[in-house]
Amino acid sequence: MNKKISKLAVLAVSGALVLSACGNNESANPGQAANTAGNEAGKAAPAAKTKISWMNILHSTTPPTDTVLNKIEEITNTELDFSWVPDASKEERINTALASDSLADIVTLTLLDNSSVRNALKAGVFWEVSSYLDEFPNLVAISQDMRTSASIEGKLYGIPMVKDIARNGVIIRKDWLDKLGLQVPTTTAELMQVAKAFTEQDPDGNGSKDTTGFIDRSDLVFGAFKTLGSYFGTPSSWHVDDSGKVTPEFESEGYVKAMDYMKELYKGGYINQDFAVTAKNDQQQGFAQGKAGIYVGALFDSKNLLNLAKGIQDSMDLVMVNDITSTGNEADRAIWSSSNGVGGLLSFPKSEVKDEAELKQILQFVNDIMSEEVFALMTYGIEGVHYTIDADKAVTITNTELWQQEVQPFSSSRPKEPGYAIHDADPLRTEAARLILENEKYAVLNPMYSLESPTFSSEGSELQKIITDATYKYILDKIDLAGFKAEVEKWRKSGGDAIISEYEAAYKAVNG
Amino acid sequence: MARKKRSGHSLLSLKRNKLLYLMILPGFVYFVIFKYLPMGGLVISFQEYQPYLGIGGSPWVGFKHFVRLFTEPTFLMLLRNTLVLFALNLVIFFPLPIILSLMLNEVRNKMFKSVVQTIIYIPHFLSWVIIVSITYVFMNVDGGVLNEAIAALGGQKISFLTSPEWLRIVYIGQIIWKELGWSTIIYLAAITVVDTQLYEAAEMDGAGRLRKTWHVTLPAIRPVIITLLILKIGHTLDLGFEHMYLLINSLNREVGEIFDTYIYTAGLKNGQLSFSTTVGLFKGLVGLILVMLSNKLAKKMGEDGVY
Repeated sequence: MNKKISKLAVLAVSGALVLSACGNNESANPGQAANTAGNEAGKAAPAAKTKISWMNILHSTTPPTDTVLNKIEEITNTELDFSWVPDASKEERINTALASDSLADIVTLTLLDNSSVRNALKAGVFWEVSSYLDEFPNLVAISQDMRTSASIEGKLYGIPMVKDIARNGVIIRKDWLDKLGLQVPTTTAELMQVAKAFTEQDPDGNGSKDTTGFIDRSDLVFGAFKTLGSYFGTPSSWHVDDSGKVTPEFESEGYVKAMDYMKELYKGGYINQDFAVTAKNDQQQGFAQGKAGIYVGALFDSKNLLNLAKGIQDSMDLVMVNDITSTGNEADRAIWSSSNGVGGLLSFPKSEVKDEAELKQILQFVNDIMSEEVFALMTYGIEGVHYTIDADKAVTITNTELWQQEVQPFSSSRPKEPGYAIHDADPLRTEAARLILENEKYAVLNPMYSLESPTFSSEGSELQKIITDATYKYILDKIDLAGFKAEVEKWRKSGGDAIISEYEAAYKAVNG
Repeated sequence: MARKKRSGHSLLSLKRNKLLYLMILPGFVYFVIFKYLPMGGLVISFQEYQPYLGIGGSPWVGFKHFVRLFTEPTFLMLLRNTLVLFALNLVIFFPLPIILSLMLNEVRNKMFKSVVQTIIYIPHFLSWVIIVSITYVFMNVDGGVLNEAIAALGGQKISFLTSPEWLRIVYIGQIIWKELGWSTIIYLAAITVVDTQLYEAAEMDGAGRLRKTWHVTLPAIRPVIITLLILKIGHTLDLGFEHMYLLINSLNREVGEIFDTYIYTAGLKNGQLSFSTTVGLFKGLVGLILVMLSNKLAKKMGEDGVY
């Protein structure tokens, strides 16, 4: 019978042990490194190919085949070993990899505000690289702003991935606008009119009221909300005034205006009524099926939407808008940028990359893949196989299916995205690229991005839930403004005040 | 009586039955290696654990994480939600398989009975992802089958998935759907071993079907019911992470966030290993205490208990 007791006791607490068990194993084998053998070999014979393992993020459903990989290996004289982390589970995977010391020579870190990633960076798990950048022609080109933004307490623990600063905007069904005789909207009020018309005037002409204006997903950042917020003058995550006083975005007037706007959309039925539980995939599918006519998100999603709609909504014609304001005043144009163009870090753990010589080999590799040649490989594939190119360096993808299988998965591993001459010949993509570039001029940066707040690192994302929940409740009319303010007060009391004062101190330390 | 004997000749009996004791060994070793040794990892709930420093190198912080857990405003919400859902589980779900197995026991047509059993067992083999997805297809506001039906009948669409009032109902409904049939198995097995003479005797006394069920079947399976009840109480705070995690969203979190989901988001997603170990430890301890209490209570009431 005694065994039964222990069994029960064990059952009851075993749930608690899963995590601690990981830690235990780790401490039992300190410094156990999985992939060092290859590097030793690389060192012994410098002329031989360098072996590099790379843990990075996969945005598509399957990893790429070897075709493009072989080319990259050939150009960079390396032997690459990718381990792919699906985007949807990157938080858990990166955290467990950090906890169990099962990293690779290069680790793509995209979640720099995740507390365990931040702690690992600060604890010196990765190499500090700022002093090495100047030795490599492509790395030296990374701007000082970018380096500062990607630093933690003034130290750069990896190569910053250079992305577009602000890529969001509004995508609208042009054929629906034309059918109803509407203009492309340039103010939020006009956008509301379009949403209303799309909902009520049967833009697809099938005789039944089965369309909505907006289609959104359960994401207050990359969905419609934050972009609409920019149009109302909401700061990006944080605002700091001349006296150094820091306020969170959700205490701004613009935030409330954006919530009111969303509430009006919801009440009028101009947005899918279940957007609070809709996944990105369902949102895009819904748009492609002609359920709605306004999509807010990354501007280059337009091409994907059009691809998805093939065979379902062949009449679909899209227009992208990035110059919407709430006032109609050009001077008020703004678009949020939360990570200030830093897409993440390519970091090199000391447990895998043992010495400076090895680090330099890997930096050389990162430098090499920033060349236009490798960028083209990772973006468009191999000429003649995946694409054709004209004299203007405009690329046409010839085999989309093959491209999706063999090339597309690499796109999230590119250390730098903007600034190459080679470009997509597709008019929608060219237009999207142009608008994204134009966005840079109006981008509202997050002033706290590179600053440090211990409370934000440890409890920030739990606290953010209070605000996210309250925002949804306000939009869906479950609480009023007083209720929302009460939740903000709760956020402040539970740790928000500490975050603000820590940021104020950090800001003062940097800006004097 | 048995106790006296054992204490006198324990060494002798160990020798005599060494083969039998040897058979325990693999299980014992398993528990030591996989269940007891990892418990050492629980010390990280008293540390600011950082994996690359290890347990040896991480700084000790005393009861900091416990203080945070008990003083955080979410704690009361977590406790309330967990207890309410557990109570729903106990009051609504627990008696249902008993009633269903008593009913199944009365079915005389073997063929019909096995068909019914097969049908009600199937949902147990579906994962929560599938169960929740099916629910979503049925209940969402835009184009959900149920809501379309309500609308067609002239009713007002109901946002089942985004209102706190519906969350508990949907939650318990899904559990009933998935586990009701499967849970009858043990009761049906217990019923089959009831001595048929008892039924015959009851029949002689003029008992009808209902009386026989009440006075013979039910008392006969009482020990099984008590045992399962105690086991269930041990899992008070274990409500199924996967299930709840799939159901929660911003609008129903206030009634849906439970310890399991909190451990996942605070611990694994945000990498606060120490804090989530603390939450897990608390959860485990509460379960342990409740099992011991309910076991004691069962014994007081003249039942066997589980140990």
